Amino acid sequence: MVLTQKLHEAFKGTMERITAPRTVSAFKEKGVLSVSEFVIAGDNLVAKCPTWSWEAGEPSKRKSYLPADKQYLITRNVPCLRRAVSVEEEYEAAGGEVLLDNDDDDGWLATHGKPKETTAIEEENLPSMETLEISKDRGVQSIPSYFGGEEEEDIPDMADFEHTENLVETDPATLQTSYFVAHEPEDDNILKTRTYDVSITYDKYYQTPRVWLTGYDESRMPLKPGLVLEDVSQDHAHKTVTIEDHPHLPGKHASVHPCRHGAVMKKIIDVLMSRGVEPEVDKYLFLFLKFMASVIPTIEYDYTMDFDLGSTSN
Amino acid sequence: PPDSSAGGQILRFITFHSSVDEGFWWRLSSLKLDTLGLDQSPVPITGFYAPCSHAQVPNSLKLMAESLPDDLSEQSSSLQMMNLGNRNKCAVPGTLYNTNTLESFHALDRGALLRMEAKKIFDDIISGKADENSAVLSRFLLISFADLKKWTFRYWFAFPALLLEPPATLVDIQPASKVLSLEEAKSLSMACNAWRNSNMTAGVAFFIASIASDAFATIRPLKDWEALKGDGQKLFFSFYDPCNLPSNPGWPLRNFLAFICLRCNLKRIHFFCYREKRGLADLEFSLIGEALVSLPQGWRDPHCTPKAVGWEVKPKLVNLSASMDPERLAVSAA
Repeated sequence: MVLTQKLHEAFKGTMERITAPRTVSAFKEKGVLSVSEFVIAGDNLVAKCPTWSWEAGEPSKRKSYLPADKQYLITRNVPCLRRAVSVEEEYEAAGGEVLLDNDDDDGWLATHGKPKETTAIEEENLPSMETLEISKDRGVQSIPSYFGGEEEEDIPDMADFEHTENLVETDPATLQTSYFVAHEPEDDNILKTRTYDVSITYDKYYQTPRVWLTGYDESRMPLKPGLVLEDVSQDHAHKTVTIEDHPHLPGKHASVHPCRHGAVMKKIIDVLMSRGVEPEVDKYLFLFLKFMASVIPTIEYDYTMDFDLGSTSN
Repeated sequence: PPDSSAGGQILRFITFHSSVDEGFWWRLSSLKLDTLGLDQSPVPITGFYAPCSHAQVPNSLKLMAESLPDDLSEQSSSLQMMNLGNRNKCAVPGTLYNTNTLESFHALDRGALLRMEAKKIFDDIISGKADENSAVLSRFLLISFADLKKWTFRYWFAFPALLLEPPATLVDIQPASKVLSLEEAKSLSMACNAWRNSNMTAGVAFFIASIASDAFATIRPLKDWEALKGDGQKLFFSFYDPCNLPSNPGWPLRNFLAFICLRCNLKRIHFFCYREKRGLADLEFSLIGEALVSLPQGWRDPHCTPKAVGWEVKPKLVNLSASMDPERLAVSAA
């Protein structure tokens, strides 16, 4: 399985090297973006949702076809108050809700529900991915991170620090809080809160944006990428969300695989056009993030903002 | 202690939180292997933060790969230039002490390190350096031991804060929208958004908001404090607040109060904790407060070493062997 994925990655890498980046717009026909359209759409996202910004990333990983200071987009410290499982249970309890009409039910647009039967066609289109185990205990009580049990013993005994000067805890003007408390004004429940850095890169092979999730646990320690799967829709956790090398950042990160992005974006664009809305390419990322919200229902980034998504012809 | 009969309570600040990216540890590892070797000299690093923008979580001071210089000859000023205009990454200068052994990690004199850093802040206020570059008001310290055999990193943060003695007394703190008139709030929002949208000022975390009698708000850089003093306008000493709580300001206000007290010689201070929602000024979430301060006796002497606090309660340990250890990576790929 892993070998298949590696072969695919190698193939994709070669294709990316020998294929010139798309420069002609196929936005409406195929739901894909050229490099320059990605930059235009990114500029618009940053302008309208200023929690997003462009990053230059690691100089050694810079892609020459993108401007040096606009390699990828990122928004940081986005709260994720609940695990996806509980969100889905709520949707089910409420009778469910569908983002868009979807005749051939390919599992992409459903924002709810139990994992569907995988159709053969989807299986074929997807590169094989290592099945990732999710722990049975998906409750918010678990605080899994890079800490292992053996390592905790490694932490020096607190008695070592009793003589430490200038600790904040002895100061009357310091109010100690911990990450373990999420402040929720409408809710008396105290919740443990993970946060995410959400980044968007340009995938040259699929000619679409690609979303990456870098998680932090309740005490802001890096979250093991596999645990991110608790926060993505269970329809996608084992299929479309994979753990891979980030093109601009060190380490492994969870990513929504872009193999179907073009097709789904095309479908969203068709629906808009059938409603008399002419989608504009600089709004691509707003549409894209709304689509991503169905995969990652728990992370509260700015996709909820309402935008004029294009010019209305009527 | 402050006179309780005056009805004042101690103004209490929420501690700064730290969050370190995997990228930081990767860069530190290669820096140690390729450049630092056994050298334990302090390394200047840069942390980044932004005003709180999600009511559910505080913002943290973030370290990432670019917090460390690529090579040590590179000046941190070039890094600040690079990030100038990135409104989500306001630079905070820090100092890293990376030790070679666990023993030397524990043997570091944390009290002395903190005093040294606090002295820098104090000196920068007295000399007027903080007027020009307010970023020096929020320094931080990081001590670490990187075990490159096990790929574990032990670290401990301090956010040095000069201690006011007696502590500042809280007179009032409320959502800014409740303190200001509708017109004032609207004008202040617009002025803040303009400040945040300009490449020149987006990363400047301390500023002065002044509101005229006709409700018109303007944002001025910190160095204008003298010109603004006594011109009859409402003045709010303002800062990007990483804290999300409705009744307490965040940590950066501590050294800012010290600045106002030392430099501007004020006793009654009106402050503005600037916070955002979806990247725009949110005056219902932002706070306006009033505090009383008095200059600590010792601070009259510019050569004094001011008292300070700031070490986080515990050290932290992160184990990145799953993603960094070449042996483990080879096994998982097989």
